[in-house]
Amino acid sequence: MLFDTWHLFKKYLRISLRMPMWTIFGLIQPLLWLLIFSALFGGFASMPGFPAASYIDYFLPGVVVMTVLFGSSWSGVSLLRELTAGTVARMLVSPISRTAVVLSRVLHSAFLVLLQVIIVLLTALPLGAHITTQISFILAGLTAVVLLGVAFASISNGLAIMLQREEPLVMIGNLMTLPLMFFSTAMVPQQFMPSWLQYAAMFNPVEYGVQAARAALQANPDAGVFWPAAGITALFAIAATAWAVSAFKALRD
Amino acid sequence: MIKIAGLTKTFPSGARALAGVDLEVKPGEILALLGPNGAGKTTAVRVLTTLCGFDSGHVAVAGHDIDVEPEKVRQAIGYVAQETGVDYFLTGRENLTLQGQLYRMTKADILARSAELGEYFDLTTQLDQLVSTYSGGMRRKLDIATALIHRPKVLFLDEPTLGLDAPSRQSLWQYVRRLNTDLGLTILLTTHYLDEADKLAHRVAIIDNGKIQVIDTPDALKDTIKGDAIILEVADTQTIPKLQYVLANMADVQDIRIDGPHVHVYVAQGATMIPRLVDATRASGAEIKYLTFARPTLDDVFLRYTGSSMTRKKDGSEPNAWWKQWAGKGGGKWQKQWQQDQTATETAAAPPPEAPWQRWQNQGDTSDGAPSAANSGTWPQQEAWRDAQTSVPDEARQKAWPESQHWQSDEGGPKTKASWKQTGKPGPHTKD
Ligand SMILES: Nc1ncnc2c1ncn2[C@@H]1O[C@H](COP(=O)(O)OP(=O)(O)O)[C@@H](O)[C@H]1O
Ligand SMILES: [Mg+2]
Repeated sequence: MLFDTWHLFKKYLRISLRMPMWTIFGLIQPLLWLLIFSALFGGFASMPGFPAASYIDYFLPGVVVMTVLFGSSWSGVSLLRELTAGTVARMLVSPISRTAVVLSRVLHSAFLVLLQVIIVLLTALPLGAHITTQISFILAGLTAVVLLGVAFASISNGLAIMLQREEPLVMIGNLMTLPLMFFSTAMVPQQFMPSWLQYAAMFNPVEYGVQAARAALQANPDAGVFWPAAGITALFAIAATAWAVSAFKALRD
Repeated sequence: MIKIAGLTKTFPSGARALAGVDLEVKPGEILALLGPNGAGKTTAVRVLTTLCGFDSGHVAVAGHDIDVEPEKVRQAIGYVAQETGVDYFLTGRENLTLQGQLYRMTKADILARSAELGEYFDLTTQLDQLVSTYSGGMRRKLDIATALIHRPKVLFLDEPTLGLDAPSRQSLWQYVRRLNTDLGLTILLTTHYLDEADKLAHRVAIIDNGKIQVIDTPDALKDTIKGDAIILEVADTQTIPKLQYVLANMADVQDIRIDGPHVHVYVAQGATMIPRLVDATRASGAEIKYLTFARPTLDDVFLRYTGSSMTRKKDGSEPNAWWKQWAGKGGGKWQKQWQQDQTATETAAAPPPEAPWQRWQNQGDTSDGAPSAANSGTWPQQEAWRDAQTSVPDEARQKAWPESQHWQSDEGGPKTKASWKQTGKPGPHTKD
């Protein structure tokens, strides 16, 4: 299964590298948000009780998570294309592990998202953002990113199989992304949120991804916050992947 | 090599794709599944290639039960789908290599095999180009090469020449024949081209409505239609019923099949029959637009066994129509309404007998819905047909009569089309 996954992963990566434009286009939106929000809410940071030195410092992990959400929801769309193109059938007539098909797609998507996140981080630095300089925490933060990417790519693939249509899939992807971002501390610290929003955020898996990314990447990393948040994100990723795999196996109408 | 017994498959949407298929493919044989769109060909192949489940029946491929040892079946078969299965964004060689890796072949073996297949299919010079630069014929060849990477014993080709131009088709036929003779591959191909089945296959199985209607060698099938076929195209379909009645009472006429404006008349001696036929047709008040006289083709066989001509049978159901998927999932109410409308139309489509000659009419026209007894065998089936009629309530018949005229003159479209027209409901659109 691991070999199957690896071969397919290589295939997807090769295709992506032949069309790097898509990966670059995917960066436009998060970078725009970063610029606009930092300019709009720059004054936020001077409010008493704001947990970071500047708004961009606070918001950067939020943008990182946003990049993950936008980037990984395309995975399902390309699965649908592959299903209609017949390349999935090509794989399935071979004795390949069915799990590997989903796993390779999900890992590929998470890998691209990881590259995008690194570019976002590198772009943010000259804009005045501060992140931790400890390599171990940077790696921890990127791990959280990959986990969240795996989770959302899995959800996107699973939804693709349930819906079987591109349009509703894209629609649901868009509908899902923004509320998930707003119902979290990606943009606004908890103490500035109305209590019902705080409550809602507790049930939002994205919130834990944001927490883990922020705890690891902020200028003064906080391992005490990181571990539980990353743990929940990992559980979320595993559950989502299991769901996508079972949906894919049931595809055999 | 392939054994199928009592295979049935109904999709969750309610579409009955396979209604009891029995079939045996011998080792080293090319067998063609010939049938119109929606007959169940793709579904059958997908079941045989382990891509899709089934409801009941027994299926064994290359000696392995498909339910018990799907892995062994997969190892023994190659499959070329109706859609291209090769990746456009990879080169030909990369496609071959990936497929080899999925079959867990060794690196050296993959390398050797790719070169060998590239040569066999005359693709060597293009093997390192992206598939998106290939022509349709090249893509199809690469598709077959990819399916053969692991040296399977059985090859499944689903509509292998669909969408190819004439020269590519001819060339592909050559390859298929060579694969069979050179490598001894057992090949099951599906097609809706009569000439393809005729020229390529050792045996042809005609499939319609999810059932194998008949299976034999192309020649033997053609022999079941004795004598010559004379095809009259009349100017006005309204005149057909009477013409049919007149012809049926002529001496030496063996069989008559109606297919839209075409009246197929089967006789022992075509040459001597033509003048008499022309006279009789005039006398009946019908006007002949064209007259063709030929040895029976597979099309005649098809007409005989399925009740409608292959060449005129049009696609009534797009298998991947998106609305079907929705109708099947959750869109329950709408779907039910549609089905009701459809059954209502089907019941109502039978016209009431008004004059003796009109009773014959139904034979050619309700090919899809009528009991198969009405479509096979020889004259006369009047009695059987009348019995079937009495099950239709009078009222429904009265109401439906003018409308059934409507779809009858419709260009060979199956009933789904007509039901939309009749109910006037905005419905899902098949592409036509
Ligand atoms: N995935 C599917 N879901 C629902 N119905 C389907 C599906 N695939 C095929 N069908 C239906 O099954 C029947 C047979 O289709 P198919 O096997 O594709 O025919 P063919 O290949 O001979 O054109 C058709 O009525 C089609 O609408
Ligand atoms: Mg088909």
